[in-house]
Amino acid sequence: MDWCRLKEDRESRLKQGDAYRIEKKLVAAKDTGRLLEAVIRPGDRVCLEGNNQKQADFLAEKLCRVNQEKVRDLHLVQSAVAMDSHIKLLEKGIAKKIDFSYSGPQAAKLAELVQKGKMELGSIHTYLELFGRYFMDLIPRVALVAAVEADREGNLYTGFNTEDTPVVVEATHFKQGIVIAQVNRVVDRLPRVDIPGDWIDYVVEAPRPFYVEPLFTRDPALITEAQILRAMMAIKGIYAEYGVQRLNHGIGFDTAAIELLLPTYGEQLGLKGKICSYFALNPHPTLIPAIESGWVTGIHCFGGELGMEEYIRNRPDIFFVGPDGTLRSNRAMSQTAGHYACDMFIGSTLQIDEEGNSSTATASRIAGFGGAPNMGCDARGRRHASEAWLKCGEEDGMRRETLGHMPRGRRLVVQMQDTFREKMVPGFVEELDAWNLQKTAHLPIPPVMIYGDDLTHIVTETGIAYLHKCTSLEERTAAIRAVAGYTPVGRKAEREKTKELRRRGIVKTPEDLGIDVSDANRSLLAAKSIRELVEWSKGLYHPPVRFKTW
Amino acid sequence: MSRQSFLGATARERAAGLTDAGTFQELAGPRDRLTSPHLPVLGEAVSFDDGIVTGVGMVRQHPVFVISQEGRFIGGAVGEVGGAKMVGIFQLALAEYEEWKSHGAQEDCRPAVIISFETGGVRLHEANAGLLAHAEVMDQIQCCRGKVPVLGLIGSKVGCFGGMGFVAAAVDVIVMSPEGRLGLTGPEVIEQEIGKEEFDSADKSLISRTTGGKHKYLMRDCNVLVPDSIEAFRQAIGDILEKPYEEMEKCRRIGSPALVKEQLDVAEWLADLAPSDARDVWKAMGNPMAEEYPDMDVEEFLTHAVRRRRGEQ
Repeated sequence: MDWCRLKEDRESRLKQGDAYRIEKKLVAAKDTGRLLEAVIRPGDRVCLEGNNQKQADFLAEKLCRVNQEKVRDLHLVQSAVAMDSHIKLLEKGIAKKIDFSYSGPQAAKLAELVQKGKMELGSIHTYLELFGRYFMDLIPRVALVAAVEADREGNLYTGFNTEDTPVVVEATHFKQGIVIAQVNRVVDRLPRVDIPGDWIDYVVEAPRPFYVEPLFTRDPALITEAQILRAMMAIKGIYAEYGVQRLNHGIGFDTAAIELLLPTYGEQLGLKGKICSYFALNPHPTLIPAIESGWVTGIHCFGGELGMEEYIRNRPDIFFVGPDGTLRSNRAMSQTAGHYACDMFIGSTLQIDEEGNSSTATASRIAGFGGAPNMGCDARGRRHASEAWLKCGEEDGMRRETLGHMPRGRRLVVQMQDTFREKMVPGFVEELDAWNLQKTAHLPIPPVMIYGDDLTHIVTETGIAYLHKCTSLEERTAAIRAVAGYTPVGRKAEREKTKELRRRGIVKTPEDLGIDVSDANRSLLAAKSIRELVEWSKGLYHPPVRFKTW
Repeated sequence: MSRQSFLGATARERAAGLTDAGTFQELAGPRDRLTSPHLPVLGEAVSFDDGIVTGVGMVRQHPVFVISQEGRFIGGAVGEVGGAKMVGIFQLALAEYEEWKSHGAQEDCRPAVIISFETGGVRLHEANAGLLAHAEVMDQIQCCRGKVPVLGLIGSKVGCFGGMGFVAAAVDVIVMSPEGRLGLTGPEVIEQEIGKEEFDSADKSLISRTTGGKHKYLMRDCNVLVPDSIEAFRQAIGDILEKPYEEMEKCRRIGSPALVKEQLDVAEWLADLAPSDARDVWKAMGNPMAEEYPDMDVEEFLTHAVRRRRGEQ
């Protein structure tokens, strides 16, 4: 019995790859394609690092141009299908199968490939699920990762965007796989070591820096009064009501509005120190005014955000930074914090159905999940208590039927929703498009971002529905209809039922919350433009040119 | 909030704030429900003011006839009804001029027209009717010459582009804030037609340097540069109207053979200069601190700014 086949296989691959070494672990950029051909075998499971922010784009492009006699039928296992090159790999047949988490900009092309039968779709995961499978049944044989700098021994400095690199490299390297890193620069001495050199087999200095998307920057100038109203309702009716101290914010304008209302409206309500002390969050520029006003104690980041480098360097008490002063982000750790250490998730979505299930899927796009479902759910394994968690659990209207008398808390899972989005597309629907996508993409289940039984609150301009207080599924549907405005779902609301739900505090309108709708205007925003964010940061925030309007 | 942002305000807030407090009277407003006949045919929503606020108010002693475009409705694009409302305001102003003349023509009471631009030009849904509206407004501006000063104000989100860029060029005086944008072909269209290498419309900083108030002030396409507040715009309108009418006429960019020659000379000079960025133009005009201009506030910028020389470069 040979117990060392993986190791032998690794050694035989390295033997071929080593032909391209020029110095220690360095391989010249021009030899990248040949290196890939030397160490990758047909049918290999390959992880191309990339997520909704940084991308190992140079290695991905080189992989697209390999000799298909030597490299083909790969099984891609990776966080994101984000680049044109990822799609090209599948189109050309260099890869034939993919397991992934998020696809954002390539969602439509991915759906097209699946429909044409050009590729095999494994599963669509959340980040944490996929990371988990990297250590079980989806272990990468070869990983292609990205870092800012490397030295000749292969030590990596990932800088601001550490993100997925540690988890990818750990899974690959310790199961005898091969790790190749593209770096922006090879240097003699790194500012700090994020990945030890003996976990890395080859380093390629890419001709241009890896691509990073500033995905979490929201221009305050684009925040609408409807968003401000919902933000006021959420702060007063949820944050204050439950004393939410540890949380994650989604990516949209609704939560950006909340961030910008903390130093103004939140201050008026006397909530400073009582809510929003800790975040699992990318470094949102819109959080700068709250940080500067002393609201925030700590933030752990999934990834970085372009332009926030110098600001974070100067606020080391708030963020996680290395001895060199730059942010240390880590997606796996931050997702863990988001799942187990947060009392609330709040975000927004495209569609919510009458049972409270929500989805960002449309029939022609396979967008994936990213990280939201691991935060937008009740963490059933959680055992420590907090005020917000306990209160939400106590209010659970169906607790007696399911659990009996044992006290148990519950995470707040909140969706902020426009009743109608742009072009009068309804935000509440009788049937999610996810059902359609399930059919067209042959998925085992409709892709649901947040399930109805995990959702505790919906905030619309009509009101807040406290769904977890409902005593039956039927009542939950009535509560959803009550806040769904003039959508087909909302028009089914019955006047008397809604009145009763308001009386029992399951539905609260702005009036019930003591909010005057006419107070919801842009003058409440602590910063009304990107430029004012720069002023708040005392010139430490440097917005990317696409957001810099001066 | 002591000074309301012009950029963030609605067209109606601007119209009221550009005239002295309590004096603005909206005419042909939403209650009159003058809506586009073309949009319903295409299944599009209408607006009860067709995206343009019109009315009259006072600035000091001057009756001021106001046109204020609303970018939130179809990007401020001008259609048949909105165009007719604009023309109606000019006609009221000209009628008021005759009144004024027959009552002693006191300079400090001369009527004026102000247009707050927030538009990408023609409303494509209304095609010819929209184009015709542009032509009629241009015609009215010509009718006002020598009689009623026409002031253009640009500091809105959408800016002033397309056909309305031509209209703006034809007014007497242009007041902008640095946040204002003025041009003919909009950034997205340039990128779409010629390519990202020519003009990257995602680069907001580039758009500001090329079409923003500071650049237009340096190039003399804009006469007065003010900070982004409605109050500052109103102040500028008052100060301009204090001047003798001939001074306002002198602010024009086009309208005489000499001015046309001047514009052609500028075009030639720019072609020879072959700048790769607006900052190259600023430097060539004698602005060594050009690199720092984008970050400066209006007051500081104005102490340094050296504008294009009139006549030949």
